[in-house]
Amino acid sequence: MIICTLHKGHLIKTITHCAKCALHQSSKGRDQGDNKKFDVIVVGGGHAGCEAAAASARVGCKTALITHKTSTIGEMSCNPSFGGIGKGHLMREIDALDGICARICDISGTHYKVLNQSSGPAVWGLRAQIDRNLYKKHMQDEMFHTPKLHIVECSVEDLLTEDLNAQLTETNPDAKCRCTGVLLEDGSTIKAKSVILTTGTFLHGQICIGLNTSSAGRMGDKPSIGLAKTIKDLGFTIGRMKTGTPPRIYKRSVRFKGMTEHFADNPSHPFSFENNKVWIAPKDQLTCHTTLTKPGLKKVVLDSLHLNKLVVEEANGPRYCPSIESKILRFNQDAYHCWLEPEGFDSDQLYLQGFNCTMPLEYQEQAVKLIDGLENAEIAQPGYGVEYDYMDPRQINQTLETYKVPGLYFAGQINGTTGYEEAAAQGLIAGVNAARRAKSLNNFVVRRSEGYIGVLIDDLTTLGTNEPYRMFTSRSEFRMTLRPDNADQRLTLRGYNDAGCVSNGRMINTEKRLKVLEKSILELKAATKSVSYWRKLSGMEALKAPSSTTVSAFHFLARLRDKEAAKRILRGFPQLTIADCDHWLFQRIQVESLYAVMLNTQRSQIEALQKEENLLIPDNIDYSGLESLKLEVREKLAKARPLNIAAATRVQGVTPSALVHLIYHIKTLQNKRNSTLL
Amino acid sequence: MNCCVRLLSNALTLQKSCSCTGIIGLKKRAPPYRGIIRNYTATQLGTIFAHSSGFGKCGVAVIRVSGEKTKQAMSAITKKKKLPNAKRVFVSRLWHPKSNSMLDRAVVFWFAAPSSFTGEDMCEFQVHGGPAVIASVLDALSSIEGLRPAEAGDFTKRAFLNDKLDLTEVEGLGDLIHAETEGQRRQAVHQMEGSLSSLYQTWTKQILKSMAHCEAFIDFGEDQHLGDQVLTNVVTEVKDVQLKIETHLQDSHRGERLRNGVRVCIAGLPNVGKSTLLNLITQRQAAIVSPIAGTTRDVIETALDIDGFPVLMSDTAGLRQSEDIIEKEGVSRAFKKIKEADLIVFLLCADSLKSSSKDVGQLIEKQAKELGLLKDFYGKQLLYVVNKIDLNMDTAQENSDNTFYVSCKNMDGMSSFLKHFSTCIKDLCGATSIGSIPSITQQRHRKHLADCAQFLQQAIDNFDLDIVIAAEYMRMALHELGKISGKVDAEQILDVIFQDFCIGK
Repeated sequence: MIICTLHKGHLIKTITHCAKCALHQSSKGRDQGDNKKFDVIVVGGGHAGCEAAAASARVGCKTALITHKTSTIGEMSCNPSFGGIGKGHLMREIDALDGICARICDISGTHYKVLNQSSGPAVWGLRAQIDRNLYKKHMQDEMFHTPKLHIVECSVEDLLTEDLNAQLTETNPDAKCRCTGVLLEDGSTIKAKSVILTTGTFLHGQICIGLNTSSAGRMGDKPSIGLAKTIKDLGFTIGRMKTGTPPRIYKRSVRFKGMTEHFADNPSHPFSFENNKVWIAPKDQLTCHTTLTKPGLKKVVLDSLHLNKLVVEEANGPRYCPSIESKILRFNQDAYHCWLEPEGFDSDQLYLQGFNCTMPLEYQEQAVKLIDGLENAEIAQPGYGVEYDYMDPRQINQTLETYKVPGLYFAGQINGTTGYEEAAAQGLIAGVNAARRAKSLNNFVVRRSEGYIGVLIDDLTTLGTNEPYRMFTSRSEFRMTLRPDNADQRLTLRGYNDAGCVSNGRMINTEKRLKVLEKSILELKAATKSVSYWRKLSGMEALKAPSSTTVSAFHFLARLRDKEAAKRILRGFPQLTIADCDHWLFQRIQVESLYAVMLNTQRSQIEALQKEENLLIPDNIDYSGLESLKLEVREKLAKARPLNIAAATRVQGVTPSALVHLIYHIKTLQNKRNSTLL
Repeated sequence: MNCCVRLLSNALTLQKSCSCTGIIGLKKRAPPYRGIIRNYTATQLGTIFAHSSGFGKCGVAVIRVSGEKTKQAMSAITKKKKLPNAKRVFVSRLWHPKSNSMLDRAVVFWFAAPSSFTGEDMCEFQVHGGPAVIASVLDALSSIEGLRPAEAGDFTKRAFLNDKLDLTEVEGLGDLIHAETEGQRRQAVHQMEGSLSSLYQTWTKQILKSMAHCEAFIDFGEDQHLGDQVLTNVVTEVKDVQLKIETHLQDSHRGERLRNGVRVCIAGLPNVGKSTLLNLITQRQAAIVSPIAGTTRDVIETALDIDGFPVLMSDTAGLRQSEDIIEKEGVSRAFKKIKEADLIVFLLCADSLKSSSKDVGQLIEKQAKELGLLKDFYGKQLLYVVNKIDLNMDTAQENSDNTFYVSCKNMDGMSSFLKHFSTCIKDLCGATSIGSIPSITQQRHRKHLADCAQFLQQAIDNFDLDIVIAAEYMRMALHELGKISGKVDAEQILDVIFQDFCIGK
């Protein structure tokens, strides 16, 4: 049974468009005749699913997004915020590839603030509190209005598979069968060339509060048991992870007096390169509050420990997102910080960030009262833990396609990551590649040296993870090159040429923007004056001994900490002033000048890495036949399946001599292939 | 206001309570090969050099340079402004670019890209095969900016990447690399035992911890209220390590010794056999010997080669109060030589031990004190030689670490003394105690340490400007140390972060 979500109540028997909605029929004609066949199917409407479906449609594939409840598309099931340090980087990269979450955050936020402003622009973390309802509404609008994208509401029961042809078996010995579509709960089938699973925590999902556990993917939603069984039957290695969410508190029951109030940035930094400002003025934005816990909390936690299933069991939880119970057990401080974050403009609830817990509800009620200002707090929704299955991500390649089942992709939390942004980034890559596979085009891979997306996927697919993987800036070895300000420079052109997921409009805007930047920098580099001159222009005190050293304006900017002083210099170049975007342009120029010195070093490191990345290891390599390698090394390589020599070096236990033997083996294979071709 | 104060004090207690939760799981994750792998692969391209001929003593040794800066390196070391055309062989003296001292005369082969083994600009210096010569040329090359010692397999890898190797060669070289890296690792582990190892480990830990705290500040500082104190501590720590490494580097004048020779001073009371010992070591009658105390009046210097290392031996006048003006001057010169020496061979007569039941160490100390030498001995390498045991057999005891019982007359105990003596010389030149060649590992150590110190300095300079740049320099510094004592990876840093800070929301 399928319902048109825009016009609820119109039941449609087959998968087709609602007769009433013109927009649903944006791609008329041949689509309608063949409505059980798609190029790409995306299962799941979370952050990975939405990006995947949208990306696939942008590449030009007829795409179906199947979710068991269309009303939950774009649901923010945990914290009411997007971005942060490392995560903001991912969002900028998603946006550079014309993804959607950044744009939607720019029109759904309640409080925009860049984190880490004191630490240097390479690690600035663009972040915003988001109104859950607005985000969901805007995301659903986006999804329903994307050309070539069809939304189907139904549970997916099983995958459709078929045997492989001989050729595929040869190139990928691990392959068992090919995925050709999905079987729905109502017994109908939908066919597609590629299928992306973005089921999040819904595979064997279990919610725990105290000792009570119930099967569910998210509070109030049923888990996907049938699908989980199918995946297990296919022989995937499955692990178990846990995560948690804090209680929600009624705003009316909180005493804000005495808490620290945090205001939004002015001006607010938009997430998307396409926007010069966010939808709401800083003065109209909501505020956040921080407060501290009181000493009695420890007793409550210890008293309820025997009633706390998740804490007792110690499954693989994230070290960086521990429950308040684990914090108390591990660190034993007098007080812990808590954040009160708005859930949205119309919401009467607050999100108690920093207070994840899984203790029974009656203890949670006691515990929150031991927070300064929450003495009379009423819990709107208790905190809970979620345990779920994840797939060992070493079973997928860098396009996120599984080795075992060609045509089947995994993206998002199913791969052992945590966070909306990590999920969205994977969704985008899976969506692009699933679509490119359907169109028989080359893969699109973002390399480690090109973006945090590359770091994320490379880490996952070669090293795996045993705790929910979250992005940090320290995970990247090229932090000064992979900055939030230059994601468009790094990825938009590639997205346009190599992925086909960037629209003409965005490409034109980006080129224009980069041209202005490049021209401005050239101009600043060409302007050479004495240090005294620049000091005077910037409004700094004159040096006691006038310096005769001359430097370019660009060079001088690099050492200038004072933003206002920098602006005074830039205003000395009237050609640089472009109405409306001065602020962000000035900022970018300053960032460029700051890191210019270090970039040469980093460039040579990147070149070295890229040389090694260019030495590809064929997918079908049979490590067991490489007898010159130690058995242990062979096993490790077979498990990690490095894509190239650079990735192979990161596999633990691989020695230099093993690498040489590996390289030799690859070359022999290549030569053999070449000679057979001749 | 009240709340602000609380936040601040909380940040401080957090820092206190967290920083004492133990340091690093350094051993936890580091598999034995990681350091080498990282060296082998993810290093920058740059220009590399290495001693490429076989190990052990040989007539001619080959030192190869490959990379963009090959020409500059050749010019710098041969002092030729205009180089001959490529594919030409020429003979040239080699000079140390920093000290300007002459190192050797060499045959130089020069190949321009792409017609070379690696496909890059390359040159080969064929120098005389003495370990000291090789070490000094390597030292000279490492002093040229942009050059770095090759990691194991670097040349092969470049050749391979530039399509210059045929497959059998790769196979053969793979085995060689295996032997080399395994050997290197063993050697590194061997060397790493003892005081030097614990020193490097401490530094690594200290930088790793600072680095981790700096990373924590970047990734979690703001939303976890870590406080600026974290950063202040990092700066203090980094300054501390930087100073320690600088001091360590200045302490060892090994490169200088290699070029100018190890200064050995034979000292002692009159008529204990100093000149006889000198003649025995030099194997010629360099000094006049007689039974008359005070025969040697001036300093007698002899340059010689011990196991391929240059040594400058000084025989000095016997130390005693004298009224003779000439002898007085001789004694004062002897004191000067003792001050300058890298290695002091302090001779005693077995006779002087007879009367005393005290152990030798105390006796020597007494003698040294009487002579006012204790201060000069401090920090120097010392060998005590008890001579003339033929006269007094019962005083002969087991040789200990630095005390030897010999008879210059009938050569008793001489061979074990000489063996130890040459080991000391090698050590002073920075050679390892394993094998008979000057250790490339050591050469690399020095380079890595110097780079490490320099990167730390740059980190210190940048903390105020941009913490990301500072962190990058720390990362580079740590990477340099990691090349000596084992790899450090991002996960390790994250481990420290999670051990030391209460992070999470």
